[in-house]
Amino acid sequence: MSIVVKDLVYIYGEGTPYETVALDGVSFEIGDEEFVGLIGHTGSGKSTLVQHLNGLLKPKSGQIFVGGTEITARKKGLTNIRRKIGLLFQYPEYQLFEETVYKDVAFGPSNLGLSETEIDQRVREAMFLVGLDFTAMAERSPFELSGGQKRKAAIAGVIAMRPDVLILDEPTAGLDPRSHADILDMLDKIRKSRGVIVILISHNMADVARMADKVIVMDGGKIALAGTPAEVFAQDEFLSAAGLGLPPITKFIREMRQKGAKIGSNPLTLDEAEEAIDAYLTTKRGAGA
Amino acid sequence: MIRDITIGQYYPGETWVHKLDPRLKIIITLVFIISLFLVRDFIGYAVAAAALAITIAISRVPLPFILRGLKAIFIIIIFTFALNMFMTGGTALVRVGFLTITREGLYNAVFMGLRLVFLIIGSSMLTLTTKPIKLTDGIESLLNPLRAVGVPAHELAMMMTIALRFIPTLLEETDKIMKAQVARGADFESGNIIRRAKNMIPILIPLFISAFRIAQDLAMAMEARCYRGGEGRTKLHELKFKERDVAASLLTVLFLALILLEREFWAILEMLAISR
Repeated sequence: MSIVVKDLVYIYGEGTPYETVALDGVSFEIGDEEFVGLIGHTGSGKSTLVQHLNGLLKPKSGQIFVGGTEITARKKGLTNIRRKIGLLFQYPEYQLFEETVYKDVAFGPSNLGLSETEIDQRVREAMFLVGLDFTAMAERSPFELSGGQKRKAAIAGVIAMRPDVLILDEPTAGLDPRSHADILDMLDKIRKSRGVIVILISHNMADVARMADKVIVMDGGKIALAGTPAEVFAQDEFLSAAGLGLPPITKFIREMRQKGAKIGSNPLTLDEAEEAIDAYLTTKRGAGA
Repeated sequence: MIRDITIGQYYPGETWVHKLDPRLKIIITLVFIISLFLVRDFIGYAVAAAALAITIAISRVPLPFILRGLKAIFIIIIFTFALNMFMTGGTALVRVGFLTITREGLYNAVFMGLRLVFLIIGSSMLTLTTKPIKLTDGIESLLNPLRAVGVPAHELAMMMTIALRFIPTLLEETDKIMKAQVARGADFESGNIIRRAKNMIPILIPLFISAFRIAQDLAMAMEARCYRGGEGRTKLHELKFKERDVAASLLTVLFLALILLEREFWAILEMLAISR
């Protein structure tokens, strides 16, 4: 499975005084089982972009290939594409509507026309993956749950469709640290068990640096920068000009260096930072002795 | 998906029409609507069309943008047209099966159809050139004399402001929920009418919940800023009648005079003939 996007252009409210170009010639490729972090300040076109990937929005021009099939030109048969691509919107807890959590999670799979046993299996699996206890939660109303639990139930509703591509638009926004960690753990679990492509839109640079294989930076409807997290987060001046920043730990090490500490690498995660500081202290001690 | 709805939309501009006092604009619109019902023949419509065309030209609202609003009520226009065409008795023109088109029917159909089109365009000119806030200010000010008989003018105006303000918000919310459910494999386009109505549940329930949530948040925010209704409330922008408003009033009177003159043209002519 791969995703290829070529010269995508999208304009909101074309022909009205409120016309805005949301996407302006966006091209990129995502390979098999890649984890892509999509970052950019508010209004840079991230959400508009991902809505094109499962045919919810039609581009003005440009092409999108999902697993080799072009999806931009067709009007029918998008249901098949949407089965493969799970899209989780921002604040997905506002789309819950069923009487019980079970029924809500089962909404997607039952739209796929699966058998009862298959649906049951998928609901259990999805609830397990997001960390919702089946026996305690399945028969409760989704509206009785806490904010974090609602979010998890909504995510389970998308995962239960077993998509090949999982797109999440700020899945951890506004969550407590515990639920935040749970959701990232879930992403890890899904990747390991099923080998899906994940596209994560996030304002949390630390999450992106830690999880992503590839980072795409959007600015003003264009792709401003793309590459591995190490490559992208090396461009700190560019990022701050685009209204973004560095992962806190990367920033910390950078400031240490400015204060005179001789640390060569640019760590992106706590583990890498620990190693770097350790190495620095060892050489410092060696030099002092 | 549903961004095409333009009824009640505002088209930003700085023209003479935009700047008119909203109270006057509401009155002018009412005069225009009434005059449409006074018109008896197509010459009268020509007068109305000319007045409308001049207003549109001055306001610089592009014609396609105005006509887009007609699309939404296209079915009503067609329905009125068909009903008038087939249901009016008179001299038969064409007969198709049990349907008969009469000369009078055709005349009525065109006449009524045009009236509807003028009504829609005329009233949409009001909303296209007036910011919702100004519009409700105008309504409040016009209703103010009725406060003596217990009409809560300010409260009504505030309700209207809020309703207008939240149309786009709710449309956006609907759009978002619809997309989210489509992404989960929901299908709103196929099946018979009952099936389709049932398929709306995944949209309607979250939408209702959102609406209540928004209302609650708004009430809280208003109370936090000490809102307590119209009593003793002052305004940032006071409405003032300016020279251009006087000019527009005169033009409106002229327009109404023309319409009445045209309507009674033959009667007046006869009267003149008799007196001579």
